[in-house]
Amino acid sequence: MTALAFAGAALRRITRDRTALFFLIILPVLVIVLVGLTVRGADRFRVGIVQPRGEAALARTLTTALDRVPALQISRYSGADAARTAVRRGEIVGAVLLPAGTAAQAATAPVQVSVVTSASSSDQQAVRAAIDSAIAPEGARLQAAAFAAQHAGVPFEAALARAEQLQRSQTPVSVHTDVVDSASSILPLGYSYSAPTMLVLFVFINATAGAAAIVQTRRLGIYDRASAAPVRTSGIVLGEVLAVLAVAVLQSLLIVAVGALGFGVSWGDPLAAAALVGVWALVGTGAGVLAGTVFRTSEQASAVGPALGIALGMLGGCMWPLEIVSPAMRTIGHAAPQAWAVDAWTALIARNGDLAAIGRQLAVLGAIAVVLIGLAVLRLARQVLQPART
Amino acid sequence: MSPALAIALKDLRQRFRDRSAIVLGFLAPLVIAVVMSAAFRGTEHFHTDVAVVDHDRGPVSAAFVAMLSSPGVSEVVHLKTVGGEAQARAQVKDGKLGAAFVVPAGFSDAAHSDAPTHITVLGSVNASIAREVCSSLAESFTAQLQADRLSIAAALASGADPTRLAELAAESARLRLPLTVTSGDLGGRQLTATSYYAPSMAIFFAFFGIGFGARSFWTERRSGTLDRIVASPAPLGATLLGKSLATLLFCLASLTTMAVVTSVAFGADWGPTPAAAAIIIAVGLATAALTALVSTVARTDRQVDAVASIVTFGLVILGGNFVFVSQAPGVLRRLALLTPNGWAMRGFIDLQSGLSWTAVILPVAAISAFTVVVVALAAARSRRVILS
Repeated sequence: MTALAFAGAALRRITRDRTALFFLIILPVLVIVLVGLTVRGADRFRVGIVQPRGEAALARTLTTALDRVPALQISRYSGADAARTAVRRGEIVGAVLLPAGTAAQAATAPVQVSVVTSASSSDQQAVRAAIDSAIAPEGARLQAAAFAAQHAGVPFEAALARAEQLQRSQTPVSVHTDVVDSASSILPLGYSYSAPTMLVLFVFINATAGAAAIVQTRRLGIYDRASAAPVRTSGIVLGEVLAVLAVAVLQSLLIVAVGALGFGVSWGDPLAAAALVGVWALVGTGAGVLAGTVFRTSEQASAVGPALGIALGMLGGCMWPLEIVSPAMRTIGHAAPQAWAVDAWTALIARNGDLAAIGRQLAVLGAIAVVLIGLAVLRLARQVLQPART
Repeated sequence: MSPALAIALKDLRQRFRDRSAIVLGFLAPLVIAVVMSAAFRGTEHFHTDVAVVDHDRGPVSAAFVAMLSSPGVSEVVHLKTVGGEAQARAQVKDGKLGAAFVVPAGFSDAAHSDAPTHITVLGSVNASIAREVCSSLAESFTAQLQADRLSIAAALASGADPTRLAELAAESARLRLPLTVTSGDLGGRQLTATSYYAPSMAIFFAFFGIGFGARSFWTERRSGTLDRIVASPAPLGATLLGKSLATLLFCLASLTTMAVVTSVAFGADWGPTPAAAAIIIAVGLATAALTALVSTVARTDRQVDAVASIVTFGLVILGGNFVFVSQAPGVLRRLALLTPNGWAMRGFIDLQSGLSWTAVILPVAAISAFTVVVVALAAARSRRVILS
């Protein structure tokens, strides 16, 4: 009963606090939107195209070909200067300055398609390879038409029409792609990436920043007064733990609901997702209560909590997939509990895994939660029993 | 010493004593810069390991291997040796190879005839860019073979003498595609994650100074200190100015430390010193102005936390401190320019890309205009808050 009374009081304090509500739901949703929009298309090269001044018949054909390349995310620029500025600022990897003229002109005098990049990086070569293969069929048609016109003595336009017709039925020297695996180790880019990773990030940050409330309770001498009453220390400690846990679970459920209803995120197997939400809330609770017993002032808690949460979130793959960092950093990243939680969400969302599929991650997170909550309870119990030193 | 400066120094002493200012202004951004630097080291450029399983061992497959080893292409892919197709598949699956090419037996003969043939690219679901780039490289190679075949077929279909087939084949083999891609270099420098996130995270944490200053102002008010200062000969706005000054000094110290340490230790590029200093000072003044505004907008000391948090996180989200704003959609990039931090990041990006110091004139002017508006709003409300 004491525990519930303490937890209830703590929860009332949080729900009346507009700042807490801002961090609980508004901020995570805003960041989900921001990160979701930004990482969407991160698996493609961003390329700008600039149409030429004057005759643009050939440029239109090449634009259609470039639009079809899956590896390229194409945006259009009104002029070469605007495209160059975008390249310099990293908004696009390269700008394709399309050539002026017609197909017939290109067939008689070879045409260069200029790709402007910011520096002599390997991206330049990768983008160039993608553009090269995209415009190659048009180049093949032009080569064949010019060759046929020369050797058969027919007009270029007639030869081009014949080449186009033949190209459609040509015996191919083709390129087949064989994907050797089906189990993705990266969350789908977009909101399905940002919603689970921000859940992991913000539940932890909110719990550790919420330690300020425990510090304040201690500094105000509320534990001393409560201890003077006929209540058990275990009740007070349990109450504090339950309050932090309830907030962590509430925030998780809100993010899951907003993700599912607002952004169409499929959170995977319901039982496994519920287990993961529960275990992660326990990790956050352990970290939050422990932080409340370690920090001396609420300012310290408010300062260190978010900083620690962001740093661990970065290490653990909340801000970018750990697949893109070096293997050494991936290993170091798994020192952060966030990495195990993100791995588990990846198994559920990207690979349609079930409870068994995330058993290892749940076990690791469970062990971390037990250690953190154990330490937190021991320290808090000691502080409740000792008079407050402010 | 002026009352405002005395108040500012007292506030800074308090913040440094409880270490929260040290954590937020110096330790946290540095730790995060270290994490960023370590995470993205060696990943700035696209590069992947590939292997060729050559069942053909003919002149065309040899030409394909030579193309993959050519100077431009070898910057993108590095050829590794594998024991066979099974090993190549296993290594692609394990992520040891970005992709692998399988050239079938008889590829060279088929390429010189009209028989269908293909190169297979083995890719992984987890390496989509490597898969696409390797497919593009293979397609670039097969494109000339396809074009030569098409040229002969088009000539014959258009009425060329079929008895000249051998002559046409020999001549088509010398052709080159009329559309070629050339790379132009803008010059300048490559933007790196470290150079972006160092100022980005420094500004993010410096913005926490807004909450410190505003909260401290309301603490003075609640404890009655403000009334005593008003009764003293000190100017009416000395307290508010002092709190803002404390934020300015905290902000300048934090950003300068970050600039020096990340440049020296992690190679972050903040641009030419005077230009970077101009942005840092402009951001510091904007942060100080925001401290005054938040102090005067809040109606109770409970509201200060809420307003400061919303202002701080609203600005960092909108301004692009959480994500690489250049890669965000156009509408988000435009929204970022409504914030001083968004303009600051625009200035730093332009400096990092190699533009001269003049690139910061517009960002500094925009940040200063923001500051002037905020100061005007704060001044309009200050009298009411101080005297109420």
